[in-house]
Amino acid sequence: MPNAHHSYDLLKSIVQLSTSSIPIQVKLNQILQAISGAFQSDRCLLLKPEQIEKSAFFSRLASEKKPLWVEEVTFFQKENVVLEEEDLFCPTFACIPLVVATSFQGILYIGFSKNHRFSPEEVDLLLLMGEVIGGAIRNEELHHKAEETISELTALYEMGKTITSTLNLEDRLKLIVTTGLKTLQAKGGVLRLEDKKSSELKIKYSIGEYHQNPLDEEIAQRVFRTQTPLSLNDSGEERLSLSVLCAPFFSKGRTFGTLAFYDKDSDSSKFDERDFQLLLTMANQISNAIENALTHYETTEMSQEHEKKVKELSTLGELNKALLTTVNFERILQLTLTAITIGDGLGFNRAMLFLVNEKDHILEGTIAVGPESAEEAGKIWASLSQRKGTLSDLITQLSPKGHSALNSIVKGIQIPLEQEQCILSRTFLEGRSFNIRFPQSKEGWIQTRCERGCHLGSEVGCYVGEHLSRDPRVYSFATVPLWGKGKVIGVILVDNLYNQNPIKEEDIHFLSLFANQAGLAIENAILYRNLEEVHQELKETQNQLVHREKMVALGELSNSIAHEIKNPLVSIGGFARRLFRTIPEDAPEKRYTQTIMIEVARLEKILTDIFNYTHDEAIAFKECDLRKIVEESLSMNQERADAEGVELVKEFSEEIPKINGDSHQLKQVFSHLIHNAYQAMRGQGTLSLRLHPISKNGASYVRVEVEDTGGGIDPENLHNIFNPFYTTKDYSLGLGLPIAHKIITSHRGQIEVDNKPGLGVNFMITLPGFERGRESRSKVVEADK
Amino acid sequence: MKKILVVDDEESIRFLYKEELEEEGYIVECAMNGEEALQKLSAFKPDLVSLDIKMPVMDGIEALKRIREKERSLPIILCSAYGEYKQDLTTWASDAYVVKCADLTNFKCTIKKLLGSS
Repeated sequence: MPNAHHSYDLLKSIVQLSTSSIPIQVKLNQILQAISGAFQSDRCLLLKPEQIEKSAFFSRLASEKKPLWVEEVTFFQKENVVLEEEDLFCPTFACIPLVVATSFQGILYIGFSKNHRFSPEEVDLLLLMGEVIGGAIRNEELHHKAEETISELTALYEMGKTITSTLNLEDRLKLIVTTGLKTLQAKGGVLRLEDKKSSELKIKYSIGEYHQNPLDEEIAQRVFRTQTPLSLNDSGEERLSLSVLCAPFFSKGRTFGTLAFYDKDSDSSKFDERDFQLLLTMANQISNAIENALTHYETTEMSQEHEKKVKELSTLGELNKALLTTVNFERILQLTLTAITIGDGLGFNRAMLFLVNEKDHILEGTIAVGPESAEEAGKIWASLSQRKGTLSDLITQLSPKGHSALNSIVKGIQIPLEQEQCILSRTFLEGRSFNIRFPQSKEGWIQTRCERGCHLGSEVGCYVGEHLSRDPRVYSFATVPLWGKGKVIGVILVDNLYNQNPIKEEDIHFLSLFANQAGLAIENAILYRNLEEVHQELKETQNQLVHREKMVALGELSNSIAHEIKNPLVSIGGFARRLFRTIPEDAPEKRYTQTIMIEVARLEKILTDIFNYTHDEAIAFKECDLRKIVEESLSMNQERADAEGVELVKEFSEEIPKINGDSHQLKQVFSHLIHNAYQAMRGQGTLSLRLHPISKNGASYVRVEVEDTGGGIDPENLHNIFNPFYTTKDYSLGLGLPIAHKIITSHRGQIEVDNKPGLGVNFMITLPGFERGRESRSKVVEADK
Repeated sequence: MKKILVVDDEESIRFLYKEELEEEGYIVECAMNGEEALQKLSAFKPDLVSLDIKMPVMDGIEALKRIREKERSLPIILCSAYGEYKQDLTTWASDAYVVKCADLTNFKCTIKKLLGSS
């Protein structure tokens, strides 16, 4: 039994121990050793509450919370003790429950192998010891809990701070997984969110390879479906051991995602209950934050979408405004392509337009707009960026040059619609757009060829690409159909040859929207143009009809006058000839009568011309030799006074095929043309007569040319030269060329005029070669039969 | 001497033809329409008839038909101001068709040819 001094020492050392900072287990061992040493006891133990739970005796003792003093074990009712507890009991022992406030911390047991009586000082001392030990344990517990709470709070604070540091959804999700990973000391983490459109759970962020494990998906699906968190420590033998914590994200009564962490980065690599609770707290805390970020993301996306739509609509409005400024077909086409290529409009580098020709069943290149080279593109873009005003003003102010190389190439393109390999034909036939991107290849972008050998499988690719892309690497282009009222009327092709910007689906969507508007405008312009043309034609037809009626009336009048005049004229001329024969050569009357004869002959010719023009004379088709006819026509004119001084050039081919024709009528034609040529040259110039065979579509023809250097025909009068009674000469009735035209046409031939104003005119007559069986079978009563 | 009957409603033409043909050595009788020509035919007994087509009372086509009924082989020349009857089948019964002209060379040649062969 310690004396007062010993008691003080013991108490001092125990108080020192209990307040020291050594680990609790060491601390308790040293305290127990000190007590045991001071009391010289045989056993000194500290029974922890979990050990006490197993023993009925100590449990009862603990529940009573009263110390027990057994000085002689014989008095102790051993029946209360179960067999395995027996070895714990010494002949003399004491059990002091450690209770601090209401918290039970265990039992201090001290035992003596010999009988020992506890003095009142000893009892007080042991009770004091009990209080000190209980206090030490309690302090340690509180300290531990405080530390834990602080660490949890720190983790949650970190998490909260992290997720509110950004509104960007992706960053937020990434931070959640990394912070959670750090807090829980996990090896991997996977965050999934529900995709609103497909309602499927999709991985948004993950660290480690755990998401590749099929179990991960299974766990996430289960947690998501059952809305219940899951903690699993699988030490399975077949699979690798796995420790997983997975919690759902909840908001407004529904789950919208899951957060899972895998394998603790510690010796045990297993998560405990505290980790699980921490995850749940985290998941609960961040659910709203994620949902907010999601909402923010969706709202931002929606607002961006709306902003874009508004911009598109306003651009479309501006472009339409520009299109409404005119109904002129060419101008509408120009405006359309300018709108497509202008930066603030649709912003493509180049645009080409093809319109359908329904009659010939082809797509025809109509117009193209775009810079010729990258340098030019740069200049245009730089100058455009300095211009001010609305987009519609800008478009209407610009007028692309009409003679660009691109424009001429495109204008020369004709694609049969049957050529289905061609992207343009397909765009037209299928009425849908195409976005074509040809990958880089050794050959450049010569990747595919259509049947006709065109690169890219399209004629445009062939023409445009080859011509303009000197360093072809990647060529992208898109085509959209041009819709009129309920039908496709053409195709627009666009590309970004110079800045190589990729053509996105949304670009094509916008282009299609505009193409629909432009299509209607173009169709209206076409209708307007057709209307104007028809109106013009109608006007011309009306004029022609009026003219023709006049001609018919004039013809009838002339015909009846011709008949009335002919007989007196024959008498006058006949008697003049008689007189002429009787008058001596040197009499002045000889000249008088000669004048009468010449003038009568001229009048007779005029009357015959009128008659011939107003009556259809049947052609006596015979095989004839044009060389002979031309020679005879020439000799008929060579006696004339103005033939002198005119150089005659004859270029006759050796082999001239015979033709089918009426030599008398043909002679009339050539004689008239030669006569006209001499008249025009007034005694000086060159008359060229050419005669050569030609071949058209496998058939043989003869071409006769009568060319003079008489100054040509005034272009204003050119369209009238084959009209009857049209003349610029004051001594002619103007029937020569109309009759010539009529005769050549009835011979299935063609008469063309190559007029060089100020120089001369070349009449070119083409007549079909002789075909056996086409000779005239009709009998004509001729004077010489 | 060969006899020619000239039938024309125009007095000046009859006069011209008569003068010209008589100068060529023919005996010429004139009639002013087809009917008169038919009347003079049996008495005059021409070797050739020159018939104008457009005439009052009886035109040249009708006269041609009537003369052909009586005298199948008598040479007949049809004369007209223009060639408008050239393709008319009714003129086929004639031996020649001459378009009237101040220059009578062609007319006289045709007569000579027809009379020479008959």
